[in-house]
Amino acid sequence: MASTETHDTPGLFRRVMESEHGFLALVLIVLVVGLGLATDRFLTGSNAVAILHQSSLVLIVAVGMTLLLITAEVDISVGASLAFASCIVMATINATGSIALGALAGVAFGAGIGLINALVTTVLRVNSLIGTIAMMMMLNGGVYLFTREAVQNHHQLPLFPKIATGFIAGIPVPVLIAAVVAAVGWIALSRTRIGRLFLATGANPRATRLSGYSPERFKTVAFVVTGALVGLAAVVLASLLNAGQPTAGQGFELTVIAAVLLGGTSLMGGRGTVLGTILAVLILKVIDNGIILLRWNQDLQIIVPGIVLILALYMDQRKRGHHAG
Amino acid sequence: MKATTRRISALAIAVGVTASGAWAQETPKRIGYIVNYATHEWYQNVIKGMEARADELGIEVEVIDANLDIAKQVAAAEDFMARQIDVLVMTPVNEQGVVPIVRRAKADGVPLVIEGNPVPGMQTMVAICDYDTGYSAGVVAGEMLKGEGDDAPRVMNVGLPLLSATILRSQGFMDGIQTIYPEAEMVHDLDGGGNPDRAQEVSSAALAADSDIDVIYGINDSSALGGLQAWRAAGLPEDDLLVVGTGSEGLAFLNEMQTEGPFKIEAAMFPEKIGYTLVDTAVSLFQGEDLPEHVVSPTTAVTFDEVGQFYSYDGTSRQIQWDGINALPVPEACMKYASDL
Repeated sequence: MASTETHDTPGLFRRVMESEHGFLALVLIVLVVGLGLATDRFLTGSNAVAILHQSSLVLIVAVGMTLLLITAEVDISVGASLAFASCIVMATINATGSIALGALAGVAFGAGIGLINALVTTVLRVNSLIGTIAMMMMLNGGVYLFTREAVQNHHQLPLFPKIATGFIAGIPVPVLIAAVVAAVGWIALSRTRIGRLFLATGANPRATRLSGYSPERFKTVAFVVTGALVGLAAVVLASLLNAGQPTAGQGFELTVIAAVLLGGTSLMGGRGTVLGTILAVLILKVIDNGIILLRWNQDLQIIVPGIVLILALYMDQRKRGHHAG
Repeated sequence: MKATTRRISALAIAVGVTASGAWAQETPKRIGYIVNYATHEWYQNVIKGMEARADELGIEVEVIDANLDIAKQVAAAEDFMARQIDVLVMTPVNEQGVVPIVRRAKADGVPLVIEGNPVPGMQTMVAICDYDTGYSAGVVAGEMLKGEGDDAPRVMNVGLPLLSATILRSQGFMDGIQTIYPEAEMVHDLDGGGNPDRAQEVSSAALAADSDIDVIYGINDSSALGGLQAWRAAGLPEDDLLVVGTGSEGLAFLNEMQTEGPFKIEAAMFPEKIGYTLVDTAVSLFQGEDLPEHVVSPTTAVTFDEVGQFYSYDGTSRQIQWDGINALPVPEACMKYASDL
């Protein structure tokens, strides 16, 4: 028996490490157990709700970013677009008194920015990293042409704050929104032919083209979907802050991209899953939460995810090297 | 800054300028203001106050935004001096980073007024007393809670430990509330970054750990509102919560106070008054008057019933009520300074 145990344990560990999401799930479990032992305030219902709430905004955009990175493109302008769109949302609701029109304006704005990014990338052939950095700069400056100050809630519609602070069946509304977005993204990417074509676009665009499909079209859809999800997140953000904040979203793009990469999506395209992104977002937010609960220096909230990301990418490379070897 | 340094109130500067017949003397034609972060509502209202006062005096105010970039601020100062601006006004991005500019202005004989945070070697500074501002809000909060028969309050401080000014506000608030409730406790001491999204995020985690909180104190309005939004997002009842903001930065605190919810006290700092005083101080300095190192601008803690004395509000814009603000007493010296930390 003893010899069987020593033989099986490394096997189980190796299987976990080599499975698509085993390593991420293991990291998450270790974090949860560790923090649960370190502080009795971690494993509580209210803290779980807080972590999920904090994860929702990042997850909504990260689902789109997963799709985009899979097609071997990236969007650095999502943080700047989020801030601008939140101002658009609030200004539209102030002007029209309609939450639906405000939400529509936010989503349309985000999708429009995504479309411009797509055209710059696919038509002008500008590298998406450079093109979306330029877009970020334009949005950072442009939002101040739109408004120099936060767009305050002048409509006072009672339903509006509930988008971010309301609960349905005990679950925060933003968490439900993020769950729906993630579920749709997961099904589309892993259970449909279109999802496989997105993966093929990133893995081998030439083969995709030879199969009769346009890689540019899939990239355009990915940019527009990401932008539209930024607009959706902006509706939640504007509700959460009860204002459109031109200064919001600083560093948001890095959190989103870090989560997607940590989740196993390849920067080179062709590989990635929404489930991996969900696990990675939870890992980053559990770390954030733990740092505050343990009363550590909050600057670690910026440092630790960077370290985790490097470790995760290193482990991922080792895993792939092992497979190749 | 040592407590023994001579100081004078903003009101005294204004009265002094008027009484000495400053208008008959030569006034500066152009004032250059390098603001550290013009997108913040606080600074927008400082600029409004400056422009209003400059209009009255027939002075042109040119504003450059350093956008939190010390290199940009230094370059802008050099540009202003090269263009022979009459008076330079500056809100430092970094107190040490602008020391060379202070030295060069002194060497070149360019009058320089600092706003907000003291810089070594400066001629004069216009600023509030940060500790006193927090302290008076703490006293009003304690009295309000005592009037409602509450037990010793548990406080969540949505602070900003990066700046001495905001540390002083938080310390002042706790010391003030402890004059009424000696056993008042700071349960959470958070770094909210001074912006609403970050404040909301850290407050959310803190409240998940311990939501037995009676008072949320924010070192500015964004911090207080971020803390309040985190409270709401956690689905916690607002009936027994008291939120205290600081700054009277823009419209956000007025919007929230008028709902008559938990946001009941504002430690008002009147940015328009700061701007007004900056121009008066610049004029006095240009005319060669002997000015104190710290020109104090008044603050006070207000409830919703009292806020109308200082701001009229129509739901979309606010107008400052100068009579109310000019009637406020100004301390001869602050209770505590950054050098006391």
